[in-house]
Amino acid sequence: MTSSGGYQLVMSDSRDRYLVGVDVGGTFIDLMVSGSRHRLLRKTLSDPTDRAGALLAGLELVAEELGLSLREFLQRTDRIIHGSTIATNALLTRGGARTALLTTAGFRDVLNMRRGVRSDLYDPKQAPPDPLIPRQRIHPIAERVNGDGAVLEAVDEESVKQAVAAVRRSGVESVAVGFLFSFANDAHERAVGERLRAALPDVHVSLSSEVLPEVRLYERLSTTAVNAYVTPVLADYLESLERRLADKGFRGRLLVMQSSGGVMGLAPAARFGVRSILSGPAAGPVAGLWYAGLHGITDAITTDMGGTSFDVCLANRGEVEVTKEMEIAGHRIALPMVAVHTIGAGGGSIVSVDGRGLLRVGPESAGATPGPVCYGRGGTQPTVTDADLLIGYLSAERFWGGRLRLDEEAAQEAFRRQVAGPLGMDVVRAAYGAYQVVNASMVDAIREVSVRRGHDPRRFVLVAAGGAGPIHACAIARELDIGLILVPREASVMCAAGQLLSDLRHDFVKSCVMSLERLDRHTVEAHYRDLRQAAEDALLGEGVPRARIALSCAADVRYVGQFSEVEVPVTGTELTEDAVAGVARDFHRIHEMLNGYSMPEAAAEIVNLRVVGRGLADAAPMPARSGDGGASLTGRRNAFFDDGFIEVPVHDGHRLAAGENVRGPAIVEQETTTVVLPPGFQLACDACGNYLVHPDTHSVQESLERLRPAASASPGST
Amino acid sequence: MIEPRTTLDPILLTVIANRLEGVTREMGAGMLRSSRSPIFAENKDFVTAVFDRRLRLVAQTAYIPVLMGASPFAVKAVSDHFGDDVEPGDVMILNDPYRGNNHAPDISVLKPVFFQGQLRFWVLSRGHHADIGGGGAAGRNPHAATAWEEGLRIPPAKLYRGGVYNRDVWEIILLNVRLRALVEGDLQCQVGACNVGDRALGQMLERYGRESVDRAIDEVLDRSEAQMRERIAVVPDGVYHASRQLDHLLEDGDAGRRPAIRLRVQVEGEGLHVDFTGSDPQIPVYYNSSYANTVSSCYIGLFSTIAPDVAVNEGAMRPVSVTAPEGTLVNPREGAPTTQCTVATCATIVEAVWMALSEAMPQRAQAAWARTNAGAGTALNRRTGRPGAFILHFAKGGGGATHGFDGWSHISPVSSMGGSRVPDPELYELTFPHRILQYEYRPDSAGAGEWRGGYGAVFALRFNEEGTALSVQTAMVPRGAAPWDETEGHL
Repeated sequence: MTSSGGYQLVMSDSRDRYLVGVDVGGTFIDLMVSGSRHRLLRKTLSDPTDRAGALLAGLELVAEELGLSLREFLQRTDRIIHGSTIATNALLTRGGARTALLTTAGFRDVLNMRRGVRSDLYDPKQAPPDPLIPRQRIHPIAERVNGDGAVLEAVDEESVKQAVAAVRRSGVESVAVGFLFSFANDAHERAVGERLRAALPDVHVSLSSEVLPEVRLYERLSTTAVNAYVTPVLADYLESLERRLADKGFRGRLLVMQSSGGVMGLAPAARFGVRSILSGPAAGPVAGLWYAGLHGITDAITTDMGGTSFDVCLANRGEVEVTKEMEIAGHRIALPMVAVHTIGAGGGSIVSVDGRGLLRVGPESAGATPGPVCYGRGGTQPTVTDADLLIGYLSAERFWGGRLRLDEEAAQEAFRRQVAGPLGMDVVRAAYGAYQVVNASMVDAIREVSVRRGHDPRRFVLVAAGGAGPIHACAIARELDIGLILVPREASVMCAAGQLLSDLRHDFVKSCVMSLERLDRHTVEAHYRDLRQAAEDALLGEGVPRARIALSCAADVRYVGQFSEVEVPVTGTELTEDAVAGVARDFHRIHEMLNGYSMPEAAAEIVNLRVVGRGLADAAPMPARSGDGGASLTGRRNAFFDDGFIEVPVHDGHRLAAGENVRGPAIVEQETTTVVLPPGFQLACDACGNYLVHPDTHSVQESLERLRPAASASPGST
Repeated sequence: MIEPRTTLDPILLTVIANRLEGVTREMGAGMLRSSRSPIFAENKDFVTAVFDRRLRLVAQTAYIPVLMGASPFAVKAVSDHFGDDVEPGDVMILNDPYRGNNHAPDISVLKPVFFQGQLRFWVLSRGHHADIGGGGAAGRNPHAATAWEEGLRIPPAKLYRGGVYNRDVWEIILLNVRLRALVEGDLQCQVGACNVGDRALGQMLERYGRESVDRAIDEVLDRSEAQMRERIAVVPDGVYHASRQLDHLLEDGDAGRRPAIRLRVQVEGEGLHVDFTGSDPQIPVYYNSSYANTVSSCYIGLFSTIAPDVAVNEGAMRPVSVTAPEGTLVNPREGAPTTQCTVATCATIVEAVWMALSEAMPQRAQAAWARTNAGAGTALNRRTGRPGAFILHFAKGGGGATHGFDGWSHISPVSSMGGSRVPDPELYELTFPHRILQYEYRPDSAGAGEWRGGYGAVFALRFNEEGTALSVQTAMVPRGAAPWDETEGHL
C-alpha cells in the first residue's frame, strides 16, 4: 500500500539534483524528495525484516514517478537524511544486542536499582522491571577516581582479565563501560575500553565518558547501557543501507537525524545509537518551525496526530525545546532530546466508559491492526477514527483516496453498545463527546509544553500535522484561544520533510562554576571563544561552508546551592558589564516564571557555558503551488458541530489555488489529510499550498501579524 | 455503572478534573527544579495539593503518600486558626505534629486562592527540610524524649500577610535552625509552588467559571466516593484483627519487649472502619505516630490493597473512618516525640492493615517491605565551605511479594510506596566530605518463596574529615511478613 501526495508528475531533467528525507517508522516509511523544481512525497509500507530493502523499494517508486531509474535518481541525489524509530523499537521490543556492563567495584547494581523508584505507587500487582543487563552480566572492576578527577585506585588488572573472560564466555555482543566520576577523568574507562577492543574485536564497546560525560551515575550508566543495547542493531542497518545505496549508484552523503533535532554523520551514528533513539519524531518540530518561518513566525507549537499517539513540541523564538528528562520503556536516557511530549491519543485510540461512568479515550489504541471498527479489519472497540466518521468529518468513500471503504454501520453499532448505551446518550452525541474528550487530552498535552513551562499558547502558531491532526486542530485552537493554525502541505509526512530541513548540530559545554556577581569576564569570554572555535571546526570538518555556520551561546545559572540550573541565553560576542547584568536579570525573571519565585538578593552562580553550533540546512526551496485551477468544490455532506448536523461543502484540497479561501463550516479533503473547518473558521491556501486556518473574526493577514516577532514585545512571558 | 447525577457536561467534567491534577504537577515541577537541599530536588520528599474552599482534598501529586493523606489536617488547622483573617496574598506555614502535621521536619506551606474577591481554593506544599533545629542532626534526634527536644514547632503563622513579607516569622524560624540558607531557600521554593498553583487556578476559574468548577469538583469527589464504596463492598463483611511490633526494644520494666500496634478492620457493606483500640501506650522515643500520620498510613494500606487506581481525594476517603485512642502510639498526647512516624511507624501501621485485609482477601495479601532506610545528618564540606544536610536514602530494603508477583528490590519504603528517589552517589560525594565505599544489592537478602521478596542494598560510607553529625537507627528488617510466618518479605 503506497500513496503519493497527489502532486503533479514532473519529468526530471538531467540538471536536477535531489535531497531525500526519510522517516522509517514501525508501519510506514515516509519519503520526501526535494528537487530544484518540485517535491514528491510518498508513504510506503515498512518491512521490519528488511528495512533497507523496503526503503530502496520506496526510493525506486519515487524514481519511477520522476521518470528515472533508481540508479539515475540516486546518482543525482546529494544527500539522504535518515530518521527512524529502529533504535526505539529495539528497546521497546527487547530486540537489542546481548549486552554486558563493566562498572566500578562496589557499585554493581546501581543501574538496576533505578534510584529506588517505581512509577505506579499503589498497584500491588506490578512485576519488578526486567533489567536490560542482568546482574550476572555486570562485572565489577576495582578502580576509583574522585570528583576532582584524581586517581585514588588504579585499575585492577585481575578484575579486567576476569571481566574479559566472562564477556567472552557469555556470548555478549556489546559492552558498556561506566565508572564512577569518569566525566572528571576518563583514563580508566578508556584503558579498559582498549583492552576490550583488543581482546574482543567483534564486540561493540560504549564508554560512559563518551556517551554522556556528565555527573549523575545512574543516568550516565542507563544512557550508556541503552547505547550499548541499541547501537549494534542500528549500526548493522546503517552499514547495510549505505552499502546497498552505494551499489545502486549513490555517491552523496547519508546523514542521520539525532533525537536532539540536529543531524549527524554516519560515523558517530554507528557508535552512538542512543543519540538517534527518537530521531523520527524529533524532525517534526524542526519542520513545524520551518513552515512557520515561511510566514515570518518564530513561535510554533507543532503537533502530529497519527494512529496511536499525539506528539506535541514547542519552539520558542526559533528554538525547538529540548529536554534531558526522557525515559523510554522505563529506561532513563539523559541526553538532550527534542522535548516531544507524547500522549496516547490518535485516530486508533479506543473510546470507552470507565468505572466512574466517565467517557474515556485512550491511551490504549487499536493501532493499524486490528484498527478502528470502521476499517473492517477485525477491530471491535470504537476509536476516535470511528467517532470522526460518525460525526461526518471523515468520508466513508474517500478515505485514503478511496483505497479503504469505511464501514459506518459497524462503527455506529460499536458506539451504541460500548459508549452511547452505558452513558445514556445517543450515538452521535457520544461520538461527538469522544471527539471532545480526545481534544481535551490534546489541549492538556499542549498546556503541558506551554503553560506549564511558562509560555502563553496564544503567542504561537499551531502547526497541525499527521493524518488525523487537521480534523481536530480548530477545536483545539479554539479551546486554547490560539489565533492561527498552519496545516503543512506535507502534513501526513511532516517528519520526513523535517529531516530535509534539519541543521547539522553540535553541542559544546564547559563546566565553569563562578559567582555571577563576581564574574571573571575575561575567563568566560575565553571559554566561549574556545567553545565557538570547537563548534566551528567540527562543522567545517563536515564540509559546512563558513557562511552556513551559526553559533549561539548560553549559560546555565542557578542560585548557590540549587541542584538544577536555568538556561539563560547570552547574546553578543563581548561580555560587557551590562551584558552580565542582563544575564542576571533574565535569570531572576525566568526563575520566577518557572518556579513562582525569585530571590534577587540571593547569590547566583554560573555552572556551565554552552555553545551550539549549527550547519544550517540549505533552505530547500518550496515550489509554488501550481493548482490545477479546477473548481475545488466536490460535494456536500452532513457534519456535526456543537448543536447538530449541518450540511457543509466539501473541497478537494489539491484543487485549491494559491490565495484561495474556504469559509467554515466546510471540509477540505486531501488524500491522506482532512481539514475540518467549524463555523467561524476560515482557511486560506498560501502560495506554496500550505493552509492557514484562523477564526474569521480576523483576516489572515491580521492573524499572521499578531504572531510575528515584532508584534509580541515581552519575550517569554505569560 | 454509575448514572450521571448532575446536568454538568461530562466532557467539561473530565477537562476540569484533569486540569486540577495538572495544577498540582505544575506546582511540583518548580520544587523539583529549584530546591536548595537535595531532599526536594533529588529525593522528591514532598507533596503538592489543591483543596477547595470547603477544605476538601481535590487533587494531589503523591511522591510521598504518607504526607498526602495527612495534609487535610494541616489545611483544617490553618483555616480554623485564622478564621476570617485570611486575605489575598497570605501565605501560611505550619509544622506542628499536634496541629495537623505528620512530624516536625515536614513543613507545610499553604496559600489561600482568591478569585473575584472570594476565597475559592487552598494550595499546599509540604516537604521535608534539611534542618528544623533541636538536639539531633537534620531534624532527627533519636535521644528526644519529648517533642521539644526534636526541634522547632511552628503553629499556624503567616509567612506573607496580604502579599507583604512577614519578617518576624521568618526570623524566628531561621534563627532556630543551623542550616539557615537551605531552610530559607526551600521555604521560598514552597512559597513559589503555592504561587504557581494560585496563578494556574485563577486561570482555570477564569476559563471555566466558578459554577462549573464547583460542580465539577462535587462530581469528581462524589464519583471517587462511589468508586471507593464499590471497592469496599467487594471485601467480605467482617472484623479482621492484626498486630505488628515496632523495631524498638523497650527498657526498664518492659525491657526486651517491643511496643505493638494493634488494630481491627471492620468491613460493613460499603464502609470500612479501622480501630486501634488496644495499641500500646505512647513511648518517650520518636516512634509515636501523630493522628494525621496514623490516618494517612491507613489510607496507604487500603489504597494499595483494594483501590490502586482510585484518585486519592476527599471523596475516596469518605467511606473510611479511623479511631485511635488518645495516649497510644498511634495518637499520642501533645508533647510526645514523633520524628520516626513518617517512615518506621507508618510502615508498621501499613503492615497491620495489610495483614488484617489478607485474612479477608488472601489473593491480595502483601508481604511487608523493609521498614526504613538509615540515618540522617549534617556535614561541613571544607572544599566548598558549605554545610549541608543529608538523609541516607541509599540503603533501601526490598519490597514484599504479593500473590503472583515478586517484591521489588531496593525500593523506597512503604511511606512513599516507591515514590521517593535515592540521591545520586556522585553528587553526594561532591557535596559531602564522605566517600561511598559500597552501594549495591546485598546477595541473598531477598526472601525465598514461590514469589520472593526484593533484594536490599548494602551501603558503606567513610567520613574523610571532621564536621559530620550523624543520626542513625538500626533494626530495619521487619520480622514476620504475610502470610506472617516469621520470615522476611516473601510469600
